[in-house]
Amino acid sequence: MNTDVGIPNAPLVHNGVRIDDSFAEAFPMKATRLLITAHNAAWALHSAQSATGLATSVIACGCEAGIERILSPDETPDGRPGVALLLFAMSGKELAKQIEKRVGQCVLTCPTTAVFAGLDAAAGEPVALGRNLRFFGDGWQQSKWINGQRYWRVPVMDGEFVAQESTPVIKGVGGGNLLLMARDVDSALAGAEAAVAAMRALPNVILPFPGGVVRSGSKVGSKYPALMASTNEAFCPSIAPLVHHSEIEPGITCVMEIVIDGLSEADVASAMRAGIQTITARGAQAGVLRISAGNYGGKLGPFHFHLHALAQSASVAPGPSTTAGGAA
Amino acid sequence: MSGHRLSLRQAPPLRVDARALQPLALAALSPAEVAQLRLPMGRDSVAVGELFHCQVLADDGLSSRATATAASASGAVIGQDTAVLQLEGGLDRFDNLGWAMTQGHLQVQGSVGHALGQMQSGGRISVQGSALSLAGCSLRGGWLEVQGDVGDLAASALPGDMDGMRGGTFIIHGRAGHRLGDRMRRGTLVVHGDVGDFAASRMVAGTLALGGRCGVHPGWGMRRGSLVFAGVAPHAGPLGGLDGWPASVLPVHAPIDVAWRLLARSLAPLGGVFAGLAGRVPQRALGDTAVQGRGEWLVAPG
Repeated sequence: MNTDVGIPNAPLVHNGVRIDDSFAEAFPMKATRLLITAHNAAWALHSAQSATGLATSVIACGCEAGIERILSPDETPDGRPGVALLLFAMSGKELAKQIEKRVGQCVLTCPTTAVFAGLDAAAGEPVALGRNLRFFGDGWQQSKWINGQRYWRVPVMDGEFVAQESTPVIKGVGGGNLLLMARDVDSALAGAEAAVAAMRALPNVILPFPGGVVRSGSKVGSKYPALMASTNEAFCPSIAPLVHHSEIEPGITCVMEIVIDGLSEADVASAMRAGIQTITARGAQAGVLRISAGNYGGKLGPFHFHLHALAQSASVAPGPSTTAGGAA
Repeated sequence: MSGHRLSLRQAPPLRVDARALQPLALAALSPAEVAQLRLPMGRDSVAVGELFHCQVLADDGLSSRATATAASASGAVIGQDTAVLQLEGGLDRFDNLGWAMTQGHLQVQGSVGHALGQMQSGGRISVQGSALSLAGCSLRGGWLEVQGDVGDLAASALPGDMDGMRGGTFIIHGRAGHRLGDRMRRGTLVVHGDVGDFAASRMVAGTLALGGRCGVHPGWGMRRGSLVFAGVAPHAGPLGGLDGWPASVLPVHAPIDVAWRLLARSLAPLGGVFAGLAGRVPQRALGDTAVQGRGEWLVAPG
């Protein structure tokens, strides 16, 4: 995630945790939700994990994807256990390509699975889901219209692979983020894990990085022309004394970032709010001393999530809240 | 809701071509204008006012609410501004009711003549009685529901047409005659009662679900599509094939859980023997092997 600018200015302190007067800058993306079902939850999860693999960042993965939540049988179209995925890309065309590759290689191949669109058909423009994958059937595939939806039945070795014809693509928001600046690695990880757990409990968002956390926050560009992104030295503790614009202060030795993609601006805001609330509830004694966010100075993305506004709108304000200039 | 209620004064002496009685077209007319409409009858024509007592449908909200509720359960969308035409009386001599209908709701309290809902592409037709032959021929869309029986060649092809029913949903609560769904290409056709011979003959695609018994030679010449036996298993016939199946189909033992669940769950709201369909495991056969053999029989008697 790019974190060019994160200038703390009149920070807010909640329960000893300093919240920078900064904002996360997010971008419009194209998004869809897929439902994968299988004979049992384990196989649905195998498929979902595979289909959302290597999908941490659009920088090099083509899309950002993750498991939104586990679905009970009464929540799926075919009454089997399932998993809901969210996929985000920078364009509808790229998203369509990623859907075809990932479903074709990771869902069609996985025992007993089926795949369905997880958004209302009228929500957006349809892109192919089973429409092209059906040709794997080599002429033996059959289409079936059920309740106004077209499904493809492709014969495979365990019976049939069933895929809905298409899935709607809608506008999403990618790049919401929180930077957790901590006393040490243990406390940074513990804080990040707690925040991730709280954010993943919310609908319509994914945290695409491993475990929901990224340790290699990036900035746009590089001294090497071939690279479009490189390490964000301002948040790297190991070189802090050498970086004149370093954000690392004494007492902070480790920074973790949580990146959030959501189906709407409100969804991303809710997740960030939940993350902030979790960290501040744990307090500075838990080791996360400061919360910041990555942005580009507001020049690149239309969605700005101001940390102070999010923190102040949290329904429960844990501990005393003050605005102060110094670190907690 | 807007529309009219036409109550039959007396049965016409000859057959009447009633295709002009369209909910949407009549909704824009006053009762006097409706009464002046002329319908072909034999070699002559007759004014609607001579056959029916015509009145504006009272917008008391009850009918529209009932309509919306029924439509919601069935998946057909009927809005509050839907044009409604209610017909009352024994309309056995009225043919082509709902012909090529695209919008609105045609409600019939009584039985109707031939070719009900022929080439209907939208809207909803509900008949509380029975219909004669050729009901739902070349049905393209919308919702067609008959509480009673239908005659021969329901949901089949018109003379010269390559395809029969090619979309929409057709529900028959009573029995159906011979050649049901002949050349059917798409859509869902459900019969709660018994059907005659050659059901789903020359079927190309779509779903035909049967809740009762069927006559001889079901699925004759069937190329693709699904034939669901939810009530009574089909008889193997005198030339029985493998495992008690008719000679025209081949039994196949392979899991098709997902497609079956989707199909069964879509039929469950229709009630009767279809209500518990999703909980049964169907036996499956492919046929008619005399043609492509790509059609499927799903037998899951309750």
